[in-house]
Amino acid sequence: MLAFLKFEARRLLREPRAIVLTLVLPVLVYTISSGNQGDVGGLDVAAYLMVSMAAYGVLVGVMTVGISVSQERASGWLRQLRITPLSPGKVVVSKALLGSLLAVPVVLAVGVTAVASHGVSLGIDRWAALIGLLWLGSLPFAALGLALGFSLPPQLTQPVSMLGVFGLSFLGGLFVPTEVMPKALAQISGWLPSNRYAELGRSIVLHHAPPARGVLILAGWAVIFALLAMTAYRRSAAAK
Amino acid sequence: MTQAVRLAGVAKTYGPVRAVDGIDLSIGRGETVALLGPNGAGKSTTINMLLGLAEPGEGVIEVFGRSPHEAVQAGKVGAMLQESGFAANARVIEIIELARALYKHPLPTAEVLATAELTEVARRRVDKLSGGQTQRIRFAFALAGNPELLLLDEPTVAMDVESRQSFWAAMRRFTATGRTVLFATHYLAEADDYADRVVVMAHGKVIADGSGSEIKKMAGGRTMSFRLNGTGDGLADLPGVTAVEVRGDRILLRCDDSDAAVQALIHSGRAYRDLEITGAGLEAAFLTLTSANGKE
Repeated sequence: MLAFLKFEARRLLREPRAIVLTLVLPVLVYTISSGNQGDVGGLDVAAYLMVSMAAYGVLVGVMTVGISVSQERASGWLRQLRITPLSPGKVVVSKALLGSLLAVPVVLAVGVTAVASHGVSLGIDRWAALIGLLWLGSLPFAALGLALGFSLPPQLTQPVSMLGVFGLSFLGGLFVPTEVMPKALAQISGWLPSNRYAELGRSIVLHHAPPARGVLILAGWAVIFALLAMTAYRRSAAAK
Repeated sequence: MTQAVRLAGVAKTYGPVRAVDGIDLSIGRGETVALLGPNGAGKSTTINMLLGLAEPGEGVIEVFGRSPHEAVQAGKVGAMLQESGFAANARVIEIIELARALYKHPLPTAEVLATAELTEVARRRVDKLSGGQTQRIRFAFALAGNPELLLLDEPTVAMDVESRQSFWAAMRRFTATGRTVLFATHYLAEADDYADRVVVMAHGKVIADGSGSEIKKMAGGRTMSFRLNGTGDGLADLPGVTAVEVRGDRILLRCDDSDAAVQALIHSGRAYRDLEITGAGLEAAFLTLTSANGKE
């Protein structure tokens, strides 16, 4: 499995443009929208939006793993791997792990922008906690991306993933804070992984322990998406 | 010692199509067996089932005495499949190193590259390879783990004549070490030239199983043809002749014993010219066998 991880990591690093492009969008949106003064939910706008945009960027980046998986499925690479001693479970776990690692540069890029443009300051320990937790918390989204990649043809995976990212981001309160949402919508939002993911980040910035309820909801989605990914993988393997 | 491959009463249905319709087949260790048949005969389905990529609807499949899945996990099997591809932006050498890392007793990298004739393109990206080179990296990937059984589905399909020959030369070196090979093909000459044993499949069934020359014999041996001055009456009664056909000014005699037929022709004192004797070849044998089966 280590050899496979190394192989995949090398391929990922071979396409730095893809990584850079993933960073541009959240940084840009953050720069444009973080000009307002004031605060939301006990955080000033600059810090609040830093977490929201990092979360949004991570969703975009991490879910691209599904797009590459659906391409590899179509090209026959996954089929080739299935006739080696490398077990399918290890393929899926390796992909999810590497896909979720994209969270790290995204959080760093948005964080650096926030520090540079608005003087957001956290201290080394909280930066480390923020990056670590936002990486761990991105695993359910990597699993969701994989579930889509294993069940859809390549030409559908991209639009469906993007739709998923926008839906989750919008309803999860990454674009419009839940504090200003209509009540019904805010209630739905509370059940979404994207909302709880951003909450995880905010709690670090606010120096709180992450709320148990939020962590449970996020973990619940992680289990659901992982099961979906496994089922989709088995079905795609049986079909071809 | 257990057989390399054993199929008993294996059947596989896709919707209304019975792709494989009750196959019994055993392959001993060290054998090189050709699975010969037209498209849609069930060759690929059989190979996929041997790899655990498809589950048989009925029957039992064993590879080295275990389930196909277990045999693959244990690193006993390598395969070249038609639809398999490679991670687009990886280099040839990286793909081979990965394959080697997944097996317990891999072949040395240099040997894999040399055998598959990929040494010169080792640093190239796999999406920049030609069709023949892509086929060779499939071969390299199958070979890298030094498996005891190689399954090849139409291995030479995108190769030109030269690379086809060097492919089979490499395969010969590999089988010389006691490995078992099963390859599917519709190149009839390939089955005849490179396999110890030819298994003919049509409509999901095994319709013939034997050496290349046995298969040819089953389908009617050789054809003798010549120009004849005078009538062809009585030719059908010559010893060794099974059928007479007139094609323009040429007479064609189908023979099950062409030696006897030639002798009899000479002794009959007939005035013939331009005598030719051709082996029916696996091609003709194949057509006879498959069309006979189709009529059932």
